[in-house]
Amino acid sequence: MLSDRKDLILKWCSLGCSVGSVLVLLSLYAFIAAESLPIWRDVGIMSLLFNQEWRPLDELPQFGFLTMLVSTLWSSLGAMLIAAPLGMCCGIFLAEFAPRWLSAVIRTILNILTGIPSVVYGFLGASVIVPWYELVFSVPSGESLFCASFVLSIMVVPYIVSGTYAAFNSIPAEYRESGYVLGVSKMYVTARILFPLARRNIITAVMLAFGRAAGETMAVLMLAGNTLTLPLSWFSKGEPLSALIALEIGTAAVGSRQYQALFAGGLVLLIFVSSINFAMYYFNGRGRS
Amino acid sequence: MGRICLWGSGLVVISVLIFILSVLIVRGGGVLSWEFFTSSPKGLFLGTEGGIFPAIVGTASLIVISIMIAAIPALLTAIYLTEYGKASTLASLMNVVIQAMIGIPSILIGLFGYALFVVTLGFGISLLAGGLTLAIMIFPTLVVLMRDALQAVSDDYRILGESLGVSRRYVLQKIILPVASPHLLSSILLAMGYAAGATAPIMVTAAVVMSRGSASLLNPVMALPFHLYILFSQHISLERAYGTALVLVMLLLIINLLSLYLRKRYGKRVVSNA
Repeated sequence: MLSDRKDLILKWCSLGCSVGSVLVLLSLYAFIAAESLPIWRDVGIMSLLFNQEWRPLDELPQFGFLTMLVSTLWSSLGAMLIAAPLGMCCGIFLAEFAPRWLSAVIRTILNILTGIPSVVYGFLGASVIVPWYELVFSVPSGESLFCASFVLSIMVVPYIVSGTYAAFNSIPAEYRESGYVLGVSKMYVTARILFPLARRNIITAVMLAFGRAAGETMAVLMLAGNTLTLPLSWFSKGEPLSALIALEIGTAAVGSRQYQALFAGGLVLLIFVSSINFAMYYFNGRGRS
Repeated sequence: MGRICLWGSGLVVISVLIFILSVLIVRGGGVLSWEFFTSSPKGLFLGTEGGIFPAIVGTASLIVISIMIAAIPALLTAIYLTEYGKASTLASLMNVVIQAMIGIPSILIGLFGYALFVVTLGFGISLLAGGLTLAIMIFPTLVVLMRDALQAVSDDYRILGESLGVSRRYVLQKIILPVASPHLLSSILLAMGYAAGATAPIMVTAAVVMSRGSASLLNPVMALPFHLYILFSQHISLERAYGTALVLVMLLLIINLLSLYLRKRYGKRVVSNA
């Protein structure tokens, strides 16, 4: 193909630009790791991850993420418990059962739902869902990991739906036709033929949604109750890792132990979410080839 | 039984949106007035009276700055990924990194922005630091959207260009970019909406409860999502919080529907019969 001078300029500009921006993105890992390095060295990995106490400003400060890690797991796994069945049902419904117009309407609605910012979900959860929860369970203050999970599940459902929908849509029509030829019901074809074919992509969608739920900040910040005690049940209050970072980074003195510890918490969250993302990328990639 | 579950799940999704919009309109519609849009927060606890004008201005400037910083590099990266580096190892490596970056929680982008722009580079809590942080947040999403927009243009054009002996740049400039432009615009709108709603990154890099200072790059700003968070979490005014949420959701609704319309309306042009 012919290359003039402008072509070469564009080629090298686009190459330089993309390499540069990927390096900026990668420096995010480096920066967060570097800022937290001293505290990993001095306090120790085991102590940071498995100490229950978080008292950064005491005479003898304690830096342990266990409470926040458990809160993060409760809220995000709980969200999956609600969102995964709902999202899969809805995705299957849109791909196989819904009339075409209804499917289009619901997909537009899901598009709009993903566009609503998390602070609005958190706000509505805290001002509408929490009072209901207080009423139903007759407790004085309803902020809890359960409420956080509930709102998180609504936030991540669209991602599970679109993953499931795409997985079912990519299955060739012959599979359905050969099922119908044998005279079995549509339900049977969906459950026994199509679902196993789509399973890998559905697992990917659910795992990616799990990663999103684990890193989500504003909604859990407004709903989980923000108390630093180890949450023993889904209905206790807690403070997920992301909420801890958002609450304390603004007031932590730059370079202090608390500052380093918050970056250490960020690194834990980053590694957790990124490993899910990378694992799913390869898990899904292998299935396609 | 199965059918009930399936139809029910569809019904749930529809009712969630109707519920959100109706709650916001019923409880927040009352405070909307000309004054709410055009005056600053006032009152004993700032925000109990007055409006949200500075927050609207702040959010608008954050969006504009972040998109101005991110759009050109994202377009060039997308051009590299689809045109020049198509099947190279480097390009596929970049695809992996960018794809994985989309999933990074926004609070961690905020943490990075705080360490880099606010502390290390000394911008302080400011419009500039917030805009740069948001630019980093929207960048991977923007690259993927733009890459898909360019990829959606039929390969026939590229082959045709090659057979006529013109350069890649020429085909890109004269055919591919014009054909893909509604899609590209729709990507930019989506990214703007994403930046407008982001709260966690700006609460640590740019936003303050109240700013009177002139809108300068190195001053902190107010922003709609952060204002909403403060109004609610400091128990200042629930009514005004609903109003602010309504304004924010309406803004995003307009942006997202416009983006969706552009993609639907001009989607057909992309498929060529050449």
